[in-house]
Amino acid sequence: MTTVVKAQDLQALVVGVTLLGSGGGGDTGSFGRMLRRRLGDGELVLRDPADVPDALVSPIGVVGATSVLMEKLPSGGEFDTAVRAVSRWAGADVTGLMPLEAGGLNGLTPLIAALDLALPVVDADLMGRALPRLDQFSWAVAGRSLTPCALSEPSGQVIVVDNVDAGGLERAVRSFVAHTGGWAVLALAPTPVEAAAADAVQGSLTRALALGRAHAALQAWATPADIADGLGGRLLASGRVEQVARHLIADGGAAFGRGSVCVVDSGSRAVIRIETENEYLLALVDGTPAVTTPDLLCLLDRRTLQPIAVDAIRTGDEVLVLALPGPTWWRRPDRLAHVGPEAFGLTCAPQLLEAS
Amino acid sequence: MRPGLSPSLTAMLTSPGWRDVVVLGGGADPGPRLTGSVVALEVSVHPEPLDGQVLVVLLAGDHTDWRIDALISRASAAGAGAVLLAGVEPLGRGAQLLAERLQLPVLGCPDPLAAHEHLRRVTAEPEVVRSDLVLRAVSALRRANGDLASVLRTTAGVLERPVTLAGADGGTLDGDPLEPEERKALVAALPRVPIGWAAPYRVDLASGAVLIAVAVLGVGPVCWLVARLPAVVPAEVAAVPEVLSVVAPAVGERLALRRLELERDARQRTSLLGELLHGEPSEATRRRAVDLGWQVDGWHTGIRIGADGQVDVAGRRTDVVEAFDAEGLQAVVVEQGDGWSAWITAVSEPTATEVQEQAATIRRVQRRLVQTVDAYVGVGRVQAGPSGIATTLAEAGDAAGLARGRAETGRFLHVDRLGLAQLLLAWTRTDTFQPAAQALLAPIKDQPGDLVTTLAVYLDTESSVAETAAVLGIHRNTAAARIQKIQHLLGVDLTNPDERLALHLASRTTPVE
Repeated sequence: MTTVVKAQDLQALVVGVTLLGSGGGGDTGSFGRMLRRRLGDGELVLRDPADVPDALVSPIGVVGATSVLMEKLPSGGEFDTAVRAVSRWAGADVTGLMPLEAGGLNGLTPLIAALDLALPVVDADLMGRALPRLDQFSWAVAGRSLTPCALSEPSGQVIVVDNVDAGGLERAVRSFVAHTGGWAVLALAPTPVEAAAADAVQGSLTRALALGRAHAALQAWATPADIADGLGGRLLASGRVEQVARHLIADGGAAFGRGSVCVVDSGSRAVIRIETENEYLLALVDGTPAVTTPDLLCLLDRRTLQPIAVDAIRTGDEVLVLALPGPTWWRRPDRLAHVGPEAFGLTCAPQLLEAS
Repeated sequence: MRPGLSPSLTAMLTSPGWRDVVVLGGGADPGPRLTGSVVALEVSVHPEPLDGQVLVVLLAGDHTDWRIDALISRASAAGAGAVLLAGVEPLGRGAQLLAERLQLPVLGCPDPLAAHEHLRRVTAEPEVVRSDLVLRAVSALRRANGDLASVLRTTAGVLERPVTLAGADGGTLDGDPLEPEERKALVAALPRVPIGWAAPYRVDLASGAVLIAVAVLGVGPVCWLVARLPAVVPAEVAAVPEVLSVVAPAVGERLALRRLELERDARQRTSLLGELLHGEPSEATRRRAVDLGWQVDGWHTGIRIGADGQVDVAGRRTDVVEAFDAEGLQAVVVEQGDGWSAWITAVSEPTATEVQEQAATIRRVQRRLVQTVDAYVGVGRVQAGPSGIATTLAEAGDAAGLARGRAETGRFLHVDRLGLAQLLLAWTRTDTFQPAAQALLAPIKDQPGDLVTTLAVYLDTESSVAETAAVLGIHRNTAAARIQKIQHLLGVDLTNPDERLALHLASRTTPVE
């Protein structure tokens, strides 16, 4: 299935990838504006893998601190540099792009890169949502190597990493971005599209667009249950944020901000607690785990219905707590272990919405 | 789990074994009944049905962790009475809201295992609680040295509850004082005459507190050993009477010893006073008086305090001494018969004003005493020297005898103020008042015309002016004029039979030249 994105669809796409971000994935707004400028009156085709059978696609996206990205803006040349570097090392030209991660700003960056480099975009990605670690790429989970790959950071520095597993790559990337600009573009090796898509989540951007359109069709005065229905998810609560607690935990060198958000449902007075890292990970309703990763937890502003990110949620916000189904790719038990709550140190069995 | 042994959470929180337990969230008054205690290692526990038992979690590192919330939810679903976590750090907001919503108290304690053990015993092994307390009381009492206060302190220490020795009126004799309303409730519940073998009394107060009272039977008046428990923990309410029953004889013994000392001192004082009253004191007597802090020389004012009804003279002496002290009088007080003899010594002879002031002060002393003792008081005149003690005490004794029946003077008489009628009555008993009788006639003594003899004759002749004139060999008009003058000078009315009689007797005591 081929999806065409035009300027009027961009707003829906931005909201869609933000919802797939489950509270994380970085600020999509600036990249949405960047994409709108690049796109102009043109159009962008999200291709089905079968449409480009001969392409060698490279999954591409931004890694590192997405908050720094807002302060240290891209120069514009990073995508080109990274793609060239990995092509040269692999000895084959990249003839197509796909997102590393569909949730958050990385759902948009490959589109910008594709416009810049005039390459087709395949609608398949390695996460189907936003996740924090490189070993949570579907390729890594499926046993496919992530290397060789290339990283380029805004001041022009490039490194190529090869012969290392996902954990080693994670460490290499973290130390590189920590000692350079805080973020970098990561481009994986050019791979025949059939193989690349086989171990990837398909159609995430199309889903994001559909979600965004459904969101745009919502009315703020609709009942919370109707809003949940409109987005195809489940309503956990509608109420006020009573407490936001945040603390840093050192986790094998990489420090993720662990935190929790406590919401009291204004109707039933049920107490909803949401455990967070970079994304909303686990929701407890009255102390009972209700929804966990890899399903999507979204907190929407009650008035504007805009998704609120983990780092933006504040005590006193009036919110809707929604759970949306996560990518079905992750639902297989062997894959679930890599992205379920246990993968984030939450000793709790995965709680997933009924498969739709 | 045994029925009837489940304390409420509020009661448990007052229990000594749960001293360190604090409510972290979901607290209510009086809270659920706690039927027992179940221990779990970690917060990830999935408890069996708990049926009101407390789920004690030994390892609960971070009280803000989401697993605490999940535990609260599971414990509530399992029917726990409460959750007790290791540590007293506050819960996260979510856990607090959840505990309130599920009405499940969440407690914290630095030593959860000890709290668990205590609750388990209280709810499942009350006889262990009881025997443990009794044994600890016995061994602590063996080590407690000496006085009553230390016995009460030791008992309070073992029970970790306030312990009071109360009189029959609920007044505190020793230990921690009772509140007025507790005192009232206690007195209402206790019998006037205790029975030695009666079970200890339990008084439930409106505040939820409980008083346990055991009678202490001994030589003195009845008193009660009372422990105050701030709330009902059934095992404790059952154990405390046993402990008090063990302690009561020890208290009785301490009371008897104290009594013995009192009696010994009293006998010593009484015998010394006996010697002082019999003439000039010997060297040995003077030395013993100095040993007791008595001043034998100087100017003494004797005071006799009598008491109606059965009064423990030796035991109540302290009250008397305290009453004098409270009014700033340095009095020597000695038990004598059915009351006390006392005297106040001044270095120099007091003036008339000082004597009046002192009498007023003694009157205030009596007013203090009347609150506890039905006392009547006589005060003698100021007398000098060792023999003066005997004199003034004798006067005081006579005055006290008069004061006893005279409610109109507040059962207080001071010899210097004795009226005619009392003088007469006293005179019939003793010659103590002879000088006073003379003083009565003093206004007419040195007047021209031998008024004293005229008065004596006039009264002897049945108030006949003519007879008087005849006996004295004077003119009838002269006799009438003298009688008028006498009445004027004495300020009396000779037609009043009482006054006439008093003057008649007084004139007889005065030698007629």
